[in-house]
Amino acid sequence: MASFDDNTQFVIGMLRECGLAHKTIIIVLDEFHRFAQGKQRLLYSLLDAMQSVTSQAVVIGISCRLDADQLLEKRVRSRLSHRKLLFCPPSKEELDRLLECLLSLPVSSSLPQSYIVEFNKELRKILADKKFKDTIDTLLSSDSTVDQILRFLFLSVSSMDLKTGILSVENFMTAVVRMNRQPKLECTKDCSILELYILVCMKRLEMREQVSYNFNSIMKEYKAIHDSFQTPDYYARNVCIRAFEHLLQCELISFMDNRRNNQSIEFRPVKLLISPYELHQGLKLNQSCPTILQKLMDQIGKRS
Amino acid sequence: MAETPIKARKRLDLKTPSKPLSSPSFLPPQTPNTQTPSRHFIPPSIESTPTRRSSRRLSLHSDDLNLTPEKPIKQTTPKTLAKSPKTPKSTRKSKLSSTQTEKVSTQEPIHPKSPALSEKRKRKSGDGLGNAVKTRARAQNVPKKRVYYKKVVFDGCEFVVGDDVYVKRRENASSDDEDPEVEECRVCFRGGRGLMIECDDCLGGFHLKCLKPPLKEVPEDDWTCGFCEAKKLGKEVQLPMPPKGKKRARTLREKLLSSDLWAARIESIWKEVDRTYWFRAHWYMIPEETAAGRQPHNLRRELYRTNDFADAEANDPLSLLLQMESVIRHCYVMSPKEFAKARNEGDDVFFCEYEYDIRWHSFKRLAEINDEEEDKDSDDDDDSASDEDWKSTKDPVSESEEDTDFEDEIEKKKPRGPSSQELAANSRKGRIFGLQKIGTKSIPKHVRCHKQTELERAKQTLLLATLPKSLPCRDREMEEISTFIKGAICDDQCLGRCLYIHGVPGTGKTMSVLAVMRSLKSELDSGSIKPYSFVEINGLKLATAENIYRVIYEALSGHRVSWKKALHFLNERFSEGKQVGKGVNKPCILLIDELDLLVTRNQSVLYNILDWPTRPNSKLIVIGIANTMDLPEKLLPRISSRMGIHRLCFGPYTYQQLQEIIMSRLKGIDAFDKQAVEFASRKVAAISGDARRALEICRRAAEIADYRVKNQSSPADTTSVGKTNVGMTDVEAAIQEMFQAPHIQVIRNSSKMGKIFLAGMVHELYKTGMAETTFEKLAFAVSCFCTSNGEQFPGCDTLLRVGCKLGECRIIICEPGSRHRLQKLQLNFPSDDVAFALKDCQELPWLAKYL
Repeated sequence: MASFDDNTQFVIGMLRECGLAHKTIIIVLDEFHRFAQGKQRLLYSLLDAMQSVTSQAVVIGISCRLDADQLLEKRVRSRLSHRKLLFCPPSKEELDRLLECLLSLPVSSSLPQSYIVEFNKELRKILADKKFKDTIDTLLSSDSTVDQILRFLFLSVSSMDLKTGILSVENFMTAVVRMNRQPKLECTKDCSILELYILVCMKRLEMREQVSYNFNSIMKEYKAIHDSFQTPDYYARNVCIRAFEHLLQCELISFMDNRRNNQSIEFRPVKLLISPYELHQGLKLNQSCPTILQKLMDQIGKRS
Repeated sequence: MAETPIKARKRLDLKTPSKPLSSPSFLPPQTPNTQTPSRHFIPPSIESTPTRRSSRRLSLHSDDLNLTPEKPIKQTTPKTLAKSPKTPKSTRKSKLSSTQTEKVSTQEPIHPKSPALSEKRKRKSGDGLGNAVKTRARAQNVPKKRVYYKKVVFDGCEFVVGDDVYVKRRENASSDDEDPEVEECRVCFRGGRGLMIECDDCLGGFHLKCLKPPLKEVPEDDWTCGFCEAKKLGKEVQLPMPPKGKKRARTLREKLLSSDLWAARIESIWKEVDRTYWFRAHWYMIPEETAAGRQPHNLRRELYRTNDFADAEANDPLSLLLQMESVIRHCYVMSPKEFAKARNEGDDVFFCEYEYDIRWHSFKRLAEINDEEEDKDSDDDDDSASDEDWKSTKDPVSESEEDTDFEDEIEKKKPRGPSSQELAANSRKGRIFGLQKIGTKSIPKHVRCHKQTELERAKQTLLLATLPKSLPCRDREMEEISTFIKGAICDDQCLGRCLYIHGVPGTGKTMSVLAVMRSLKSELDSGSIKPYSFVEINGLKLATAENIYRVIYEALSGHRVSWKKALHFLNERFSEGKQVGKGVNKPCILLIDELDLLVTRNQSVLYNILDWPTRPNSKLIVIGIANTMDLPEKLLPRISSRMGIHRLCFGPYTYQQLQEIIMSRLKGIDAFDKQAVEFASRKVAAISGDARRALEICRRAAEIADYRVKNQSSPADTTSVGKTNVGMTDVEAAIQEMFQAPHIQVIRNSSKMGKIFLAGMVHELYKTGMAETTFEKLAFAVSCFCTSNGEQFPGCDTLLRVGCKLGECRIIICEPGSRHRLQKLQLNFPSDDVAFALKDCQELPWLAKYL
């Protein structure tokens, strides 16, 4: 285990040796902003080493942060040469070219020629299709990076009909649905009745401007609903705790803070992590949802 | 070991191998252990004349170390060395040998009987001077670049990297005409013929028959000749005189040990473009050449490896020697382990256990790593009992292609080294050889040797790395620094002082101090000021603040100790005036760059360092450099009172100064318009006054101009009329590139939802007047936007993802996405910028009404 000093010496020695041997070294620092933490010794030493004639090296920092160079200390920033290259997501025209290029089969592949011709013909039809264009638009409205497009294309191609081996617009449409999933909504759809009760109770508490509430106050509310509406579903407290824990795991609700970790969960203040709109939607989609809950939610919706 | 053949015993230094006889497990030779040379430290003293080799090296190194205040002895080039060695040491040595020869008492008649022992060497002529270089078939198509080899067959002898060789000391060959392979008998002065035995003391060879009384066979134990025994007893001894007219021929070994030859370990071999062969090597030194001289525990055949490179690339007067032609032949320098096992490697066997630091005159046991390698090599030797066999095992023709050569080598090493542990590359501190082979990208020849245009020369000289010939604009400050230092060291008292230099980055603080130190150095060389030592430390390059003690102590004494110990020693040195090592305490100039990094919680490091100069007899001068103007005020009062008195401010450069700096660099290169330089310097002066920035802008402008010129000329190769100089437009473009903030472009290029998201943020900001908002509110706003403008609302989870993406590139600042509805969001750029970027968006024209 060498110390920082030793390693710095080693790097500088290596840079000199390589410079003498007429070799260039390219040092790539990915997630550059991460190196800008602490005293920035590494960056300082490295950039300082770049400024000697003997070292023939290049440092390239890659970062997703726009303000990465602002994170550097003044003395480090002064040694940076301030060359910046911005990589923007592709424009519409570039995207069309990219899609065609990625999807079409190369003519000189080992596949049978007739298949290639047919595939590419079908593909051109799809690319010109209005529905396909809409699909792409919905996809790119949220995120237009190349990475997203590649994932989308992979999903679409993997849902291709293997019998024909030809892509169809439906493939792309299913893929876009799979890309734009709403995990929170789907979670509420799968919740048990008791869990839904708890969520609605929390919502009601929030509506009453109760800033902080915990499991006990939720249980009180639950009992109140049961008493006033005479619902058939009333479960014991320990069952409710199980449901409560499950909701915590699904991250539909969460603790207000992580400070009082040692307290038992009944007493820790909690928060709903799902918006009323989503909750309402979820209740509608959930088949087993009791009507009383829907009614309560409608009330809430009207009141707000 | 007991049934070692006689031949083997003959050339063996009997002292060492006798040891393992007693103990079955190997113990290293004890003689060197009793007085461990690694602790044996002789500091460089002014009085002691450094040995030839080291003096030369020191004079080279003295740029950064002012250790040899006296001028190194002028006898650098190998040619100037006359035939008989001139330095006192070697004369003494040669006298010694000659006295030995003179005192010969006619003793024994000669008994030429047994046939000459066959020395198995292919090479007959000792020196390969002027011989045609015989290499491989490859030689016909001469490669245009330097070619590195792992092994070279030169003059019928194979040299591999890592071999030890004799190197000629003078260019014009040998003092003795012949280099006998076989040593002559000290008594009968004839070589060969009959068994010879070697004295363990004087290394003289004797025929068994010539001895008195004659020996039947080589004894098992140590054996010393009669002369040496007699000498030990205090008797006057007369050594046998050589017959008249016959000069005693000395073997290479003798020449080496009387420092008429050098030994070196080859680290890399290459062929230059002009088909000469060069090598780079580590020198070996005989004990007499070290500062300590020969010690009683030194074995006769002991050598020290120096940390001294013989490098042809460094402009070294020695580098002439590094042609392969000056190599005479192999010698075998062995670690104690191998030396004990050594059998019949002949006369050229040496023993090396320690590395000698020529700068600090200290000794260090050779590291395990080297042993490991040498073990491998020696395995080779052991496997095949004699030299000849060893050579024949290696295929002599195979090296037609260097790459195959290397693979070959690797394959060979693999099966052999199961025991060798993996060693981190940095355990050698960057002293790595054979870099020619690692996977870095080679700079193409046509790029390296391309004739530079004016623009390219301008780019070159504007590099931050190039040291400018003159340093304009800091004359006043440099004058002040120089008077400060001189005032401090030229005092008889040498009152320690502190100077604090501050200024924003890129204003030439460190450079000025170093320039002053360079000029002081030249004054020192001319003898107008007293010697001093200079230590340069960068606070950011220390692992911890406390490590500074270690670095200072190492720079002053050459020893690496823990920081606590170093602090103790330094306290002794500076507070109590105790000497470090043997030398007189010279004034010490300590330059601490980035001083603010040394501020620890209780500030003890800074306190110690700034307290020392105030002590009497400390002879310490501290120059601290930092960016902040008010560093002393931020410190404890007892520290600021010690540091804050003497200050020097390096203000940001004005545009005239920047212009002067750039113009002085571009002197003689007609590439820049004057206005362009002025524009760049005005711009930088208005922002930061950072010279680095100004140079970078100009360099970038030159690049842009270069690109423009190339683009112009390539399509129409005829005389293109475009300006070749760097003009205003190029500088403008460079400044644009460098200072322009990319966020507007990023916002314009973000996705549709991203734009709506940002518009929502701005809208919320205007509505509530609060910079911070939560995701819940924002999602509501966005859904309102969408429904009222016929856009499809993608759902909260997708929107959350969009927000997190924007947060990743820091257009907004947000909490982690797991907070979901409660996530707090804030714009990272002024809302006006965002509004400006989104206002004329073709995709979503309706956004404008919300901004």
